[in-house]
Amino acid sequence: MTRLRFSAFNLALAYIALSIVVLAAFATPLWYTWRENFEERRAFLLGEEARSFTEVFEKSGPAGLARVIDARLAGARGSDDIILLANHQHVPLSGNLAAWPPEVPQAVGTFALNFRDRGRALNVLLVHTYLPDGYELLTGRESSRFRSLETLFWSGLAGAAGFVLLLGIGGGFLIRRLLLSEVQEISQTAGEIVNGNLSRRVPTQNRGDELDVLAQTVNRMLDQIEHLIHGVRNVSNAIAHDLRTPLAELRSRLEEFVVTHRSSEGSAEIETAVADTDRVIGMFDALLRLAEIDSGARRSGFVQADLAKVASEVADFYQPAAELKGLTLCFDTSGALTVACDPLLLSQAIANLIDNALKYAQNGKIRVAATRRPDDMVEISVTDDGPGISDRDKPKVVERFYRGDASRGTPGVGLGLALVATVAKLHGGTLELADNHPGLRASLLFAAT
Amino acid sequence: MKILLVEDNERVAHFVKNGLLEAGHAVEYAASGRDGMNLATAHTYDVIIMDRMLPGDIDGLGVIEALRGAGNKVPILILSALSDVNERIRGLRSGGDDYLVKPFAFGELLARLDALARRVQDTHAETTLSMADLSMDLLARKVTRAGKTVPLQPREFKLLEYLMRHTNQVVTRTMLLENVWEYHFDPQTNVIDVHISKLRQKIDAGGARPLLRTIRSVGYMLTADD
Repeated sequence: MTRLRFSAFNLALAYIALSIVVLAAFATPLWYTWRENFEERRAFLLGEEARSFTEVFEKSGPAGLARVIDARLAGARGSDDIILLANHQHVPLSGNLAAWPPEVPQAVGTFALNFRDRGRALNVLLVHTYLPDGYELLTGRESSRFRSLETLFWSGLAGAAGFVLLLGIGGGFLIRRLLLSEVQEISQTAGEIVNGNLSRRVPTQNRGDELDVLAQTVNRMLDQIEHLIHGVRNVSNAIAHDLRTPLAELRSRLEEFVVTHRSSEGSAEIETAVADTDRVIGMFDALLRLAEIDSGARRSGFVQADLAKVASEVADFYQPAAELKGLTLCFDTSGALTVACDPLLLSQAIANLIDNALKYAQNGKIRVAATRRPDDMVEISVTDDGPGISDRDKPKVVERFYRGDASRGTPGVGLGLALVATVAKLHGGTLELADNHPGLRASLLFAAT
Repeated sequence: MKILLVEDNERVAHFVKNGLLEAGHAVEYAASGRDGMNLATAHTYDVIIMDRMLPGDIDGLGVIEALRGAGNKVPILILSALSDVNERIRGLRSGGDDYLVKPFAFGELLARLDALARRVQDTHAETTLSMADLSMDLLARKVTRAGKTVPLQPREFKLLEYLMRHTNQVVTRTMLLENVWEYHFDPQTNVIDVHISKLRQKIDAGGARPLLRTIRSVGYMLTADD
């Protein structure tokens, strides 16, 4: 889930960054082109104005130009135009500046200047022209409106970037929520099915989008799995019924014979036949039970239980049997180990391990331990001092019906460790077989929940 | 005991019926759920043996649910070919009192029927149990034999309590496993026998007569009779 959250967040971030880059790539050349054209055009217009004033001066002298300038300024009051006519001592004759700005260079030309006039800070593009008889003329345009336009441009750009940012983050969150909720539904459903609730399905909206199609595909897959599992269950139920009934008949026939011919010859043989039948029934039960656990249906019966208590009770159960064989069976624990499990199946698994240890232990000690390891795994181990299992045989002993060399001549059919391994798998754990030098150390390992 | 047997398999029905008759019980027999239902509502039985899978429109669990729905409290033992723990739970939830998986030893069936029929008689809460010169104080968790205290482990106490509640009845190893330890699997080693012999050493040590008997090929019985 954490990974998904990051992927959605990163996606949103990447989109925001991309949008801002596109915005900048679009705005920057626009800005420069606009600015250059605009300034050139203004400089050209100011030059034109200066030229036309020069013509006026040449025709009608300083007084004539002053009149024209006054008329011009009167007609455009409040505009950004700056005009100043001054004599060779820079005494203003006409125009809208109070004094000749000292910042104006001697040279003729176009200048962008900052100066103060009547306490007003001005940012002006100026054309400086010399007129005949030492008169000088300044024509210019205040740039503050232009500056405000520039500010407007930049703030517009910043606003657009902010909007993109907001949209990106908002959209990212929205996508994440949508995506996460649908993916979460799918994973939640899968989780419930793993826990044995086979009838669960992913909700679909019939929108036909990719997630919906995915959900539908998952549902079809689940239908198929449910169908198969029910098939397996029906088959094993049918086998159970069909095979148990003749076995029941056989057993009852034999038992009836024993009862009615109690002291007659051959009744001992028949009693052995009853015991043989019981062994067949026992194997058959063990196989059915393995199939049932394998199907995972037992997971629906999981409860929170203390594994240490479960293990100690099984050890307690076998205590007298160990004493009878002259063995010590001890139990150690580091405290309560509560996990979600099927306590009955775990009892059986631990019982099988202790049963094996009782069979093979030589003359010493069987140690049953339930501990929480430093890596946070819960471990139930049964250790004996018997012949152990060779490395070659270790992977094989958990297979059904496999019997190692040491087990020849001992009772059992070779399903004990297979059941232990299957129970471990049902609980998401493993069965580990290790050497105890001498003997075997069999451990059931579970993730602590 | 008057017993109703509902079982569709002729061979098994014959065997069970003969065995029960030989054990001195009166047996009536039905081969289908509907017949069983009719007999069970028309007559009073001490215990009913109900096969789970029956031909026709109503199976064993259906009959049990119908009987329980009508307020019939007769003890019912379910016979089933389904050994699955979940199936056992379903059977008991439908109103059955015990669940025996086919194939079974006849001794096992008989012992369970006895226990079921007896259960109805003594449902009141007791604080002491006693038989012959053996007595058990359930509150003080104390056991005495001929006035002398017998020290018992908690599990031995529970085992003896179960045996004392079923005095003069045969209890099988499976019954002990299910009721004293609450395990539903078959331990390959004869663990139950060892527990019993340990208990026997404690309660029958130095006693005038042994109380805890082994019933060959079936189980055990706590009895003062000869």
